Order: sequence, then C-alpha cells, then structure tokens
Amino acid sequence: MESVRSYPVKVFAMGFVVLVLISLPLFWGRLICRTSLSNIMSHQAETVRIEPSRLVPPELENDPNVERHSYVSSYMNIEEITFPNLGIPDYFSARMPEGRLSNLYSFYSHSQRSHSFYFDDKIGLFVHCKLLRQNRPGQRKWSKKVNFYIGPEGISETPDKTLGRFIEPVMGGDWILYDRKMHRFFHINLREKTVVKGPELAKDDYHKPIQMGRLHKGEYLSIHWSAPQIKATDKDIKERGWSKGRLGELIPIAEANYVHDAGEYFLVLDESGRIDLLDKETLQFAGIGGYLPAPETFFPSKEKVTPKDVLSYRVKPLAFAADNKYRGMYAASISREGTSMTLAVYDENGRLVRTDCTKAGEYNRYRGSSKSGTIPSSRAFYFAGPWAPANTVVKYLLENFQPPIFSIISYFTASSFEAGSGYRALFILPNSFIGMLGREVGDNAVARFVFALFVISPSIVLGMFIAWRVCKDAAAVGLTENARLCWFIGSICFGPAAYITYRLTRPRETLVSCPNCGRLRRPDMDKCHRCGSGWVVAEMTVPRWRVIDRDFAGEEQCETSAGDGADGAAVDRTVERE
Amino acid sequence: MLTLIKREIEDHIVYFLVAVIFAAMLVATEISVFYKIGSDEPQSASFNGPPAVAFLVLLFVVIWSTLGYCAMGATQMYTDRTRKISALLSTLPVSRGQILLARIITGILGILTVQVPFVITTAVLLYIFVPPVPIYGGFIFEIFARVFLTSFACYCIGLQTGWNPSKITPTLGGLVLTCLFVPLVQIKGFGLEGLFILSLFIAASLICTWHKFRSASL
Amino acid sequence: MDKKVIQIENLVKYYDGRCVLDGINLKVPEGCIYGLLGRNGAGKTTIIRILLGIETATRGQTYLLGTESGRLSSKQRGRIGYVAEAHNLIQSYKVGRLIKLCKGLSLQWNEEFFNHLIETFRLPMDRKVSQLSTGMRAELNLALAMAIDPQLLILDDPTLGLDTVARRQFLELAIELLQKDGRTILFSSHILSDVERIADRIGILVAGKLVVDCPLEELKSRVKKLRLIFPEEAPESLHLTEIINQQKQGREMVVTIANLNKQKRAVIDTFKPSSCTEIPMSLEDIFIECTKPVPAAVVD
Repeated sequence: MESVRSYPVKVFAMGFVVLVLISLPLFWGRLICRTSLSNIMSHQAETVRIEPSRLVPPELENDPNVERHSYVSSYMNIEEITFPNLGIPDYFSARMPEGRLSNLYSFYSHSQRSHSFYFDDKIGLFVHCKLLRQNRPGQRKWSKKVNFYIGPEGISETPDKTLGRFIEPVMGGDWILYDRKMHRFFHINLREKTVVKGPELAKDDYHKPIQMGRLHKGEYLSIHWSAPQIKATDKDIKERGWSKGRLGELIPIAEANYVHDAGEYFLVLDESGRIDLLDKETLQFAGIGGYLPAPETFFPSKEKVTPKDVLSYRVKPLAFAADNKYRGMYAASISREGTSMTLAVYDENGRLVRTDCTKAGEYNRYRGSSKSGTIPSSRAFYFAGPWAPANTVVKYLLENFQPPIFSIISYFTASSFEAGSGYRALFILPNSFIGMLGREVGDNAVARFVFALFVISPSIVLGMFIAWRVCKDAAAVGLTENARLCWFIGSICFGPAAYITYRLTRPRETLVSCPNCGRLRRPDMDKCHRCGSGWVVAEMTVPRWRVIDRDFAGEEQCETSAGDGADGAAVDRTVERE
Repeated sequence: MLTLIKREIEDHIVYFLVAVIFAAMLVATEISVFYKIGSDEPQSASFNGPPAVAFLVLLFVVIWSTLGYCAMGATQMYTDRTRKISALLSTLPVSRGQILLARIITGILGILTVQVPFVITTAVLLYIFVPPVPIYGGFIFEIFARVFLTSFACYCIGLQTGWNPSKITPTLGGLVLTCLFVPLVQIKGFGLEGLFILSLFIAASLICTWHKFRSASL
Repeated sequence: MDKKVIQIENLVKYYDGRCVLDGINLKVPEGCIYGLLGRNGAGKTTIIRILLGIETATRGQTYLLGTESGRLSSKQRGRIGYVAEAHNLIQSYKVGRLIKLCKGLSLQWNEEFFNHLIETFRLPMDRKVSQLSTGMRAELNLALAMAIDPQLLILDDPTLGLDTVARRQFLELAIELLQKDGRTILFSSHILSDVERIADRIGILVAGKLVVDCPLEELKSRVKKLRLIFPEEAPESLHLTEIINQQKQGREMVVTIANLNKQKRAVIDTFKPSSCTEIPMSLEDIFIECTKPVPAAVVD
C-alpha cells in the first residue's frame, strides 16, 4: 500500500522538523547558561602576565635601577566571546577585509582618493586599485583611476597573460605572499614594479603556511609587551639614548613595529600550529619561531594545538628599533570553550622561555569575592563563581536533552570542527561536556568512553524510557514488528525528539474492540493484530437476506460475507433464479 | 495550473497588497539610509553598505515579514479547509498535488513581491555608492537567498499548522514556531551551514504538509 | 456493457470507531444508471466521496474509470461530473467567478449547452453563491457538472431543493445525457419515484452492507409481499429464510420475502393458508420494507 511505503518518509521528514525546532530552544538555553557563566567569571581570569619576559638584553633586565621588569601580558574579554561566533557576526567578520574568507586585503576610501588591494580569483591576479578624485567646489572635477595587476611574473597596468596566474595565494603583510599550489613565496615591490620569487619548496615539503605576518584570529584577545621600567637621571637618559613615552614613562628600548615586524624575519603560521621564521631577503625558511600555546582545558587535552583547535590566537614578534634584530616572539591562545587563555614566550631560537595560563580563585559567598587565582580558569569557569555550579548543572541537563546519538557523535568528532563553529552548533556539540571528554587525552580509550557514557547517562536513561513508552503504544496501535523495532532504536538514539515525532505521526485510526479477544484493534487492518481473528462488526445488525444478481460475465456471484446476522451464523445465500 | 495560481492570488490579494506596501517602505528606507550614509562621504558607504543592508533586512524583512508569511500559509490552508475549496477543486480535473503546488507557488510569489524590489534597489545603490570590489556580489546574493529561504520556511510552517479546524493551532502554533525558528538565521548565519539546514527544513516541512493534505478528508 | 466504470472491492469505512460501511462490493457497468439508495446515515455519500478520492477508505479499494480513486489523473477527473449533496461550491465566490474558475480548469467545456442551462435555470451571474437559494445552488452545481460533457456523472441527491419543474428538467437532462454513447450515471436520491423512472440498477445499503444490487425489474420480481390468511391463528414463524419483514395480526400475516421461489412457496403451502395474495410493490414500498428496523421475530 502506498501509505505503508510513504510512512518512513513522513516519519523522517517530521522527525527532522521536530529536531530543528527542539534544538533551537535548547541552543538558546545553553547560550544563556554560558553567557551567565561568562558574566560571573572573575576578571582575574581574563589576564595573564609573564614577568620578566626574558626577551630584553640581560644588561637592561638586570639593571640595578630596575623598578619593574619587562613583561608580556595578554587579555581576553571573556564576555565578548560568544556572540561574535554566532552565524551572522561570523559571516560578516569572515568576509570583511582581512577576514578568513575575504579576498580584499586592504581598503581605504576618502572623498579625495581611495585605494583597494584584492585578489581577483577570476583572473588569478592581485589588483591594486587607486582612485584619485577632485571634487572641491569651484574647481574642475576630475577623477583618475590607476590599476596595477600583480602576477607571479610581474606587475602591469593591464591584466596580461604574461603576468602568470596565482592559484591559491595566502597574503601576509609587507607585500609577501605564499601560493599553496606553486609552493613558493613571492615578494611584491610596487615602487619598483617587481615581483621577487622565492625558491620553490618540494611538493612533499612539510611546511603548510596558512597565515603570515600579522598572526591573529578573533578580536577578543590582545597581547602586549612592555619594556622594563628603570629609574634613571636625565643624564643617563641622554647618554644611553633612551626616550620618553606619551605618558612620560621612560622607554629604555623600543619595539621596531608593534604590529608584526620581526626584524629580518617574517612570521609564518603553519597548519600544524608551528610558527616558522621566513627570511625576508631570501624568502626561505630560517627556523622555527615557536608554537601556538595549548590552552588549559577542563579535561586534559593534547599539548600541541593547531589554529583550528583554538578559538582565538595572537602572535607578535619582538624586534628592537635600535638594531631591528629578531629577539623572539610571544603568543597567546584561547581554548575552544573560551574558558582559558595561555600565554607563551619564545626566544630568538624558538625555545620556550615561559608559559602561563589564566587562573581564578575560589569564590567566597560570604565575602562576595574571590581569592587570588589558584585554579585554572578552565575549571573555575564552571564552579568558582557565584551561581556558577547552578548554571553548570543547568547547562549539563540541557546538553542531556540532546539526542544521545548526537552526544556520542560529539564525543568522537569533537576535535574535527573548527573552534568557532562550536558556538553555532545545533546538533553536534563540540563545546559540551561530552565534547570536551572526546578531546581528552589519556591511555585507556575504553575507560574514557565508558566514563563518557556515564556523563550522558541521563539522556540514555531518558531515551530508554521513551523507547519503552513508544513501543508500548506502537504495539497497541498495531504497528508491525519491524516498525516497532525501528521506533525502539530511534527513540533510544533521538530521545525526546523521537517521542514528539512519534506522537505526530502515529496512525490516527480510532481503535475498536475486537469481538474475539476484547482488546482494542485497528479497523484498517484485515485481521486483529492481537489475536489474528478476522473481521466482525458486532454492533451492526445486518439482514440475513440478499438480492444480488448474477455477474455480467455469466459467473455465479455468491455473496459470502462472514458473520452476517446477529448470531454470526452462516446463511444460505446462493441465489437461485426462479 | 495558472488558473489555480490566479485563484490563490485573488483569494489572498490582501497579502500581496501588504507585501507591495511593505516593499515600497523598505525600498524608500533603504534609499534614504544609503543617501544619508553616503551624503558627505559618498564612498564611505563602502563597508557600511552590506552591514546596513543586512541590518535593514533583519529588522524589517526577517522579523516582521516572516510572521506575515507564516500567517499567509496558515490562512491559505485554514480557509481551504473551512470553505472546502479543495473539496470542490478535487472534483475538477485537478489533483491534490496541483492544488498544493499552486498554493506554494503563490506563497513564493508573495515572498518575491517583497524581496525582488529590495534586492534590485540594493544592487543599484551599491553600484552607485560603493566601488566595485569583489566581495559585494557574493554578499547580496547570499544574504537575500538565506532571507528568502527563511521566509519560505516560515511560510511552510504556516502551511503545516494551518490545516486545522480550530483557529488556535494555526494562530498560536504558527506564531510560536515561527518565533522559535527565525533566530536560526542568527545562529547559523548566511553561509553554507544555514543554506543546508534551511533547505532540508523546507523539504521536510513540505513533505509533511503534502502527506497531511493528501491523506486528509476534504 | 462489460466495461466496469465503477468498481468497489471490500470497502470498509469507520468514523471515529463507528462502522459505516462494512465490506461493500459494487460494480457499475458502462452505460448504466445506477440508483444507490439507503436511509440517512447509511453511507451513500461516504461511498461517493471515497470513489472520488475526497475521503479515504479505512480498508478496501475503489476504482473509477479503471483507475484507483486515489490515483485518478487530471484527464480522468475531467471526464467525471459530480454534484455533491451539500452543493459543495465556494460560497464566497460570485457565480460568474465560480463559473470562470470551473471553465478554466475543465478539459472540455460545452459553452452552448452550459449557457442554455444557465438561461433555463435563470441563474444570476453577479450574485454570491452563498446568497443563492438551495435550489439555485443545486441548479448551478448541476449545470457545472453537465457542462463538461462527462462520461461519468455522479449525483448525490441532486434534486434536493429543486422545485418540481426543475426536477423534471433535470431528469430529462439526465436521460438526454444517457442517449450519448457510453455515459454512466451513479446517483443517490430520496425521491424514489425519480429513481424508479430512470434507474437501470438499484443498490440499497442497510447496516453497512449492500443488501440489494440488481436491475430494478429483477428487484421487483424477487422481492414479494404476500398477504396470507389462515383458517385459524397465523403461525408464529413460517420457517423460511430471507424474510425481509413479517407482520402478524390474528389470522392474517403479511410477509415480505426476498428471492421467493418454488421451494419457499411449497413451505408456505405446508401451513395451508386459506388465501395467499401478492401485494404489488413500488420501488418505494420495497425500499421501506428493506430498510425498516428488523423485528426480533425475523432476526430469530
């Protein structure tokens, strides 16, 4: 019957609709819990400071008049992490200039002039467009547009084929770029209208640059280096060539460029999380600068992280204005869950100097304050603030309303998703407790999985209860054994969504009493699905006579309806013509 | 089919009139916003353009008109059931599939009545005010495609809840489900994720509506 | 005549746990006028609605023009004219608009014939359907059904609300339609004189079953009403099968029997009635006898 064939289609369709509509309020519930936890998180968990930085020459750092050593600090705005990662803000930030999906690398506009620099993937060339305008009142209006097309082979004012074609460029600052398909670096010099090519890397080279120059992801993390504060006389200042800052502070040593200048090197972030040093002159790799620091997590996770694994990172090199020599780099990254930040300092040889992470103290309910940070913020986030445990429990319960199958998929796929996408997740939740467990490292995978099942046990128990209820009702309404089995498995896997789907799609025939077994049966089935007996409509008093003629083909037509008559006795109905 | 579509439009002409007025208001607002932003610094509409467009879209089209589309879908199904329109049409050389398809096409036309003028105006204004940089073409298409799909999904919710003898389920049910559903765009954005979920939701919703309509007694 | 335009196989319909149709089997050949009779609530309209695919059957299959009811193509629907019991028209439409809609959707439309009908029935074009009288709605419904020149005409109490003149006009239209080759009519009506006038075959629904399904003449010959007068008290039971109805008063017994044959006459003779008179019955009389509540004596 068509209805039998189309029932699974109807169930799947309704199931998907129900799943989406159930997931939305659960999402907002989890978001509210997370936002609440962020708001109550102690502010001391937003900052890390490493002092002394050990990137300054020892004679300065160890100067007897030092009042404060050089330090490196990082700051994350924990309250601003959630909403930028939702769909619409993320969509625009990814497509704005310098966004991860943007081909527009810089843009400037003014009434008098504007310029833009972007990659036109249709022609495979970079385009540097300048527009000069004269529109002052009283003066002749004119405008002039100049385009430069930049390819691997050179620069021209027209998009010649002789310029070659870039295929998959990664643009860094300082007009240095890398083409992933050509496996080489290029340096663009607009002034001299030249493009310098670096040596081609081997096709199986392990370097896989994904970002260059200004290494950052997300706008809620900032890092900062500060020179040591030294008490000195004006004579010392003059003799040593030190300067004073805006606020009158003494700057014994200045950074070359506080944004991304690494002196003779250029920072290149690799897909693996390694940060390489690129020689600006030769366009060849000159060594390792360091690694993205692995943030602390609720459950211990891997020590090396990739850019995809962290929600935000920022890396800055350090070179001093005096000699423009690379001194080292400092990097900070925020965990996927946005609950902790780690700061690391690397020296000029790429050796880790020091690392530290955000911490918070225990909240004292009576005093209404926290002690100084002793607990990693990845744990303090969930338990240390006022009302934090309650929010955490609610978040945990909401996660357990997710279909168990999705929780198990979250466990196994937790590391596969880009960190920011966890904030937009509706079905599979990388940032849930089960997701965090999935990223946990340890020796015994079986024990970890069993523990994970324990963590989602409320949803499994709920699923089993729902499965029992659904199967009981399915038997009552006469669904086939296969259908009941499917509903049983589906209810365990999908929990509340399966129950709602079942209620909306179950057969709506009103059950009638079977005269044979007395139990309720479906009238649209030939036989009672309980006792297998045939069909008798006991409440109708049917006449025992018939006046039915012979069939038109000359066949005898015998009316043999079983159960006619009040007492169910068979009646002689063979028609005889007179 | 054209006769059926014409019948649907004539029966629900109010929605189309409101859609035209709404579209006119949106277009007028958008033109004034662009001219306001670009009046002193015409070229500074560059990066304000798409976010301003998206903001307008969110405020007016997604929030307000999605409720209108849900109401349109619910009204179409509810009036059909109470006035037994399909009962008559089924006795003519018209299948239930054709009736439902004509209804859906009418809903799509209603959505496009608002969005097409808005898209055209946006494209023209961006061409006038914003330098031709490559990102904007993709923005416009993606944003409006997702808004169209969201509106259509809300319309499908209306179709699903409307086939009901009582007035409460189509009204309250549709309202609640639409309010629940619309923020999906905020969660998933205008990218491929949003497209995937919206498309699947629309397909599933239409399948459910089709099953309900096909097996219902007219 | 062999081609079956309408076929119903083991049709069962339940409404909220209440059985309305209990295993209906029916075949209507091409060119036949089939009168489907039954008391109110017997299930006539239900059968028709299931045939047209407006209602779904609980069990069983129905076929129209050789195709299952739920799978009728637009072309097949275009060959079926239907007049519903409640004159199922869109009440909020004006007559003109409704006509335009039906005309636009129909595959064939006999404009001349339709205009003739509209003139005959004097239907106002600019009035809303809800403002028409019941009779005018019936006329409009009929005109719309006839205008498509249907191969199969299904009429559910079509003359409900029609005045005498209009009823006669409708009957003449029906006969006129039938004169065209291969046209079939299935109709149900409570005005049995009309049915008797035009129907070829009769079907009577009782307690969810089709207890009568035969040509009209055959029905009249097989259902007999006898007045028996006995010399003494009439017996309690004649020990006959297929007694439709039985009334006893003193020495007189009036019995209605289905399929009266020689054997049954012989059994009656064994009771030695002093007289046995056949009471002629019209279709209406037969219908009343068949659909009366069954007396306990007859059931036993």
